[in-house]
Amino acid sequence: MQSWRRRKSLWLILSASWLLLVLLGGFSLLRLALPSRPRPGAPQGWPRWLDAELLQSFSQAGELPEDAASPQAPHGGSCNWGACFDTSKCRGDGLKVFVYPASGPISETHHRILASIEGSRFHTFSPAGACLLLLLSLDAQTGECSSMPLQWNRGRNHLVLRLHPAPCPKTFQLGQAMVAEASPTVDSFRPGFDVALPFLPEAHPLRGGAPGQLQQHSPQPGITLLALEEERGGWRTADTGSSACPWDARCEQDPGPGQTQRGETLPNATFCLISGHRPEAASRFLQALQVLAALQEMSPARVLALRQQTQFLWDAYFSSVEKVIHTTLEVIQDRIFGTSAHPSLLWNSPPGALLALSTFSTSPQDFPFYHLQQGSRPEGRFSALIWVGPPGQPPLKLIQAVAGSQHCAQILVLWSNERPLPSSWPETAMPLTVIDGHRKVSDRFFPYSTIRTDAILSLDARSSLSTSEVDFAFVVWQSFPERMVGFLTSSHFWDEAHGGWGYTAERTNEFSMVLTTAAFYHRYYHTLFTHSLPKALRTLADEAPTCVDVLMNFLVAAVTKLPPIKVPYGKQRQEAAPLASGGPGPRSKPQAAAPDCVNQIAAAFGHMPLLSSRLRLDPVLFKDPVSVQRKKYRSLEKP
Amino acid sequence: MFTLPQKDFSAPTTCLGPACMQDLGSSHGDDLEGECSRKLDQKLPELPGVGDSAMFSPDTSYLSSRGRMIKWFWDSAEEGYRTYHMDEYDENKNPSGIINLGVSENKLCFDLLSWRLSQSDMQRVEPSLLQYADWRGHLFLREEVAKFLSFYCKSPAPLRPENECEKEAVCVIMCASVKYNIRGPALIPRMKTKHRIYYITLFSIVLLGLIATGMFQFWPHSIESSNDWNVEKRSVRDVPVVRLPADSPIPERGDLSCRMHTCFDVYRCGFNPKNKIKVYIYALKKYVDDFGVPVSNTISREYNELLTAISDSDYYTDDINRACLFVPSIDVLNQNTLRIKETAQALAQLSRWDRGTNHLLFNMLPGGPPDYNTALDVPRDSPRRYFLISSQVGLHPEYREDLEALQVKHGESVLVLDKCTNLSEGGLSIRKRCHKHQVFDYPQVLQEATFCVVLRGARLGQAILSDVLQAGCVPVVIADSYILPFSEVLDWKRASVVVPEEKMSDVYSILQSIPQRQIEEMQRQARWFWEAYFQSIKAIALATLQIINDRIYPYAAISYEEWNDPPAVKWGSVSNPLFLPLIPPQSQGFTAIVLTYDRVESLFRVITEVSKVPSLSKLLVVWNNQNKNPPEDSLWPKIRVPLKVVRTAENKLSNRFFPYDEIETEAVLAIDDDIIMLTSDELQFGYEVWREFPDRLVGYPGRLHLWDHEMNKWKYESEWTNEVSMVLTGAAFYHKYFNYLYTYKMPGDIKNWVDAHMNCEDIAMNFLVANVTGKAVIKVTPRKKFKCPECTAIDGLSLDQTHMVERSECINKFASVFGTMPLKVVEHRADPVLYKDDFPEKLKSFPNIGSL
Repeated sequence: MQSWRRRKSLWLILSASWLLLVLLGGFSLLRLALPSRPRPGAPQGWPRWLDAELLQSFSQAGELPEDAASPQAPHGGSCNWGACFDTSKCRGDGLKVFVYPASGPISETHHRILASIEGSRFHTFSPAGACLLLLLSLDAQTGECSSMPLQWNRGRNHLVLRLHPAPCPKTFQLGQAMVAEASPTVDSFRPGFDVALPFLPEAHPLRGGAPGQLQQHSPQPGITLLALEEERGGWRTADTGSSACPWDARCEQDPGPGQTQRGETLPNATFCLISGHRPEAASRFLQALQVLAALQEMSPARVLALRQQTQFLWDAYFSSVEKVIHTTLEVIQDRIFGTSAHPSLLWNSPPGALLALSTFSTSPQDFPFYHLQQGSRPEGRFSALIWVGPPGQPPLKLIQAVAGSQHCAQILVLWSNERPLPSSWPETAMPLTVIDGHRKVSDRFFPYSTIRTDAILSLDARSSLSTSEVDFAFVVWQSFPERMVGFLTSSHFWDEAHGGWGYTAERTNEFSMVLTTAAFYHRYYHTLFTHSLPKALRTLADEAPTCVDVLMNFLVAAVTKLPPIKVPYGKQRQEAAPLASGGPGPRSKPQAAAPDCVNQIAAAFGHMPLLSSRLRLDPVLFKDPVSVQRKKYRSLEKP
Repeated sequence: MFTLPQKDFSAPTTCLGPACMQDLGSSHGDDLEGECSRKLDQKLPELPGVGDSAMFSPDTSYLSSRGRMIKWFWDSAEEGYRTYHMDEYDENKNPSGIINLGVSENKLCFDLLSWRLSQSDMQRVEPSLLQYADWRGHLFLREEVAKFLSFYCKSPAPLRPENECEKEAVCVIMCASVKYNIRGPALIPRMKTKHRIYYITLFSIVLLGLIATGMFQFWPHSIESSNDWNVEKRSVRDVPVVRLPADSPIPERGDLSCRMHTCFDVYRCGFNPKNKIKVYIYALKKYVDDFGVPVSNTISREYNELLTAISDSDYYTDDINRACLFVPSIDVLNQNTLRIKETAQALAQLSRWDRGTNHLLFNMLPGGPPDYNTALDVPRDSPRRYFLISSQVGLHPEYREDLEALQVKHGESVLVLDKCTNLSEGGLSIRKRCHKHQVFDYPQVLQEATFCVVLRGARLGQAILSDVLQAGCVPVVIADSYILPFSEVLDWKRASVVVPEEKMSDVYSILQSIPQRQIEEMQRQARWFWEAYFQSIKAIALATLQIINDRIYPYAAISYEEWNDPPAVKWGSVSNPLFLPLIPPQSQGFTAIVLTYDRVESLFRVITEVSKVPSLSKLLVVWNNQNKNPPEDSLWPKIRVPLKVVRTAENKLSNRFFPYDEIETEAVLAIDDDIIMLTSDELQFGYEVWREFPDRLVGYPGRLHLWDHEMNKWKYESEWTNEVSMVLTGAAFYHKYFNYLYTYKMPGDIKNWVDAHMNCEDIAMNFLVANVTGKAVIKVTPRKKFKCPECTAIDGLSLDQTHMVERSECINKFASVFGTMPLKVVEHRADPVLYKDDFPEKLKSFPNIGSL
């Protein structure tokens, strides 16, 4: 009985288990048992051949092409860089450009363009020493056409610059001359040889130029507005709602008229569609809607990145006639330089290739601008460059203070006065180099090859700094390697009464310049100062030494588009006056020179790059009510 | 492609029969786990022949028909299984430590699993994807299993349950088989025979049920995900033969004026989701002419490799109607071996040929046989003896003269090689080059040079380029109008020197002028191009498809940096989304966002205080309390700027960082509803500072992260320190962009973590901003007593150790999600220019700063 009961319970469990098995596993087993047919949906893939290992290679040994083709000239009639440009004349220091003087009366624009090229670092007065001969052919207004110049030589090493579509008939064969013109056509354009220019309106500013006008720097999901250029200068807009066309299907019906804006003003759209040829307007609008649908698939962050890039490109290369011309020359110079041309990064990220000279370096890490993109950091040491002006006292105390900094790598003394060099210098652990300068103020910013660090601490012999101050300022500079970090400041302001710029070294709530008599900056700015500024400006600085500070601040601000940085300076009250009164040079010099130089420099730059800042960077615990023992930069606390 | 769904990858029964088991520990890098799995490994070899046929002897009368069916399947694949068992723990064949425990085995399954598990993406597993929160399974089960194994397997020492870290299902199956196969007989004789039969039957059935459950659970996934199961194994010789009549149509010649927008039909790509083109491969056929003579070799090894790579990639589809790009399986890699006309006819009769629209043909020109590739995968770092080397054979005499002139001029540093004429073995001559009577091994000799010449040869495209790249030599390309491979996306200027043919005599001086540092960068770049895009047929195939994909979906295209920057640069660099250096106009002002729950009184005080700030342009109150309505309109303080109340659906901290449409300014001030101690001067000054640093977090209370050397992890610090790396968002200015990033682009599960812990949203924001910009925060104005959780003693949380521990936990968690520590430490803060200067207070712009 018991065994029967047990048997019964066993059977019960047994059948229950079977039920479970059938329920849970049956289907899977069934699937397994049936031969697996290729199921629709599951990709079949390329078969794994059983004899894949045995397959032969596509090329067999000994099949090397032995017969060498003759070196065919790939260029029939059209020129290329190697064949039609003679770089042998460009060996020395890059591109030297000779501009043909205008023959006969010329327009104001023509005149100013000539002047601008003549003032640039590319210019040379001798056609024999020039590597590029530039022929301006832009007199749209006067209707005057340039005639064949003397040194034409079939156009070899010539650049014909046409800013506006040429009304002139081709009076002479262009031959081997490069042509830079707006909107060239595919048929006549020789890639890698000719240069395509933007189409510039007549009223384009000669220099400076207005910055971009992008207002919103946030991604705006959901807002996509496309404007389509219409004939007669109007714009037709379409937004997300009006588009019924998916981008991946053909669109057949015009979903009705979008808004059409007439007039010169650009619509406030995210995208503008510019098409070269002008077929029937209606079908173009349909295409535009499809473009819009495709553009909507872009992430808002990417749209913003593109918008910002347009601003950068505009500001770096397009906003003035001078920039367009300089960009053209820079493009040609890059071709001449070949391997030492600008890397792509330098062209495509701020501050742009016109301000990042490839003669300085071709490695982006050497510049102060690209550390984030490169994942690199500026060097952890600095070089102190002490300028000893007319009084000619060896700055012993200053050397001691600077040498005491743990970040100091070397000290350079730029001896620039009538007195003979002192024979003995203070004993420091730092390597000390004395350079006998040429009494010129602009020498202070010469790119001396002895400077081996990224950071320069520029000092005047009469400056007075403590080691703490130097240390803290350098640590701050490491966070902002592209800016100037200084102790004493001055400001510019718009002087309504005189209708010009004013300059003041008084202490105010804001500042726009730091004095280079005590400031950290990147060594690249020495190269930029010496090699990119027009000669006229450097002469100005030599003649009015107070201007050299202003000029350097202009230069750095024009590159960074940011104000400099001020750090605390302990001896502000006692010794600010001599420092602030205008840097190197005899102190008796009237201060009135300064405002003038601000105006002159601003005129040469074409705009006012200086920006004001209202903040000072202090140590985190600066003057906080906490024990001085906790503070790292204690001596800054002293009143 | 064979991919296991990640969710199930830990389940050992994903393959045919409960046969394979993986080492869980090694796959997710937890030391503890790794260790315990290892112990199990070491014990197992003592078990005799697991899976022997003892259990299922051929005449198992105890099994039902269904059971026999299962058993039949077990037996079917035993051959591979036995081979495997000859050496189960082979170091070479089984390096991943895959344990085989099953009662049946399938070699293919094992191989596939081991291949899949050793892929790099198996190193990391999102815990949330795992089926069980507790990795080691339930403790009671582990205890049972431990007991069971200790007893039945006669373990020398009792197993510790915590070491039994497999999943339950595995344990049971494993034990069952262990018991029946090995120790079963020792146990059974104690019972009566008929009971024995019952027990055996019962156990068999339970076992079968469990196995079936396992199969039911895991098979469907594995079948769906691994199409390898369905891939036919056939011989190339068996492919169908197609006879091409001599008069079948010949396609038109290639249209040279074709452009992407004229000859490619992008509308076909409309079906493709996720901005990825779909590629179809025609089935392999063998084409013969009227006389039965094959048109070409059916397929070459390389082309088979190439098609396999495409088929394994995400681009592949087997649905011809959904494909947007078609790849014929007709091998045209080497046009020298082709019968051009017949091949063209074969192409023309492809079902979707349509004048070749949307078809992709691969044609690689013959070069040296690629059998030497394996010999020199790692170039030597030894100094390179030659400055410039030319190793091509069959050059035009004119070029050779130029080269030899260079050699005469520059002596030892230039080496010009040619074919060896005096070698007896013909086959080897391909790997030898000679200069006069000196014999060099090719391509090894390329490693000896800094620069290698790539000259115009019989054809423009040169196999030499690959050899040069591989050797880490910088190619000097002297071949006008040679389109370098993938030059559409690769910046060859960074990896090579292109010299016009006219300037060939100047090559030496051009190269000499390149600074050493640039040469090193070029070498690194050339190497990276080789590794990423040319190393294998697969790399070439995928790069080609990616380029076409980029053309079709330009808005989703891979960026210049992604194509060209070597991994080391990519890893270290950041691309700031707000890269324009600019100072927003002051007139725009800022929007204050107050996050509140129910402290209405304090909230109103904050609103009143903040409204005094001149640059405030709008006030947004985020009402995070769902159980209570905000006060009536009439009760709110009357302020001069618009005030809006946003009610949220859930009480989440992330609500504070939502990019509300109401925010019209770029600057956002996040402020807690209890921050009443900030003066109007301080807030206005904070806004001014933000304008100068619009891509940074500009905040008031600063914090620091520190590395705790004892605990070996990050620690949160709120003491008076000389450094800051974070600011609290209880009062901070930042760009609206970061709201967008926080809400939509926060990596990993950080947002959920923050909402679950109701803490650390500010740390998360600090991490996010620092990671995307690579820049430090700006702390504004001197330290004040703030009412914040960790610095006041009001709500009991004050200076609470647990709070600090939790914040430290957040830092460690976020650092692991980001994979790095993005926070930057700085030693400065921002003060007004004349702060604490000896200057008349009333002339200062921001006099009321730092007062308590």
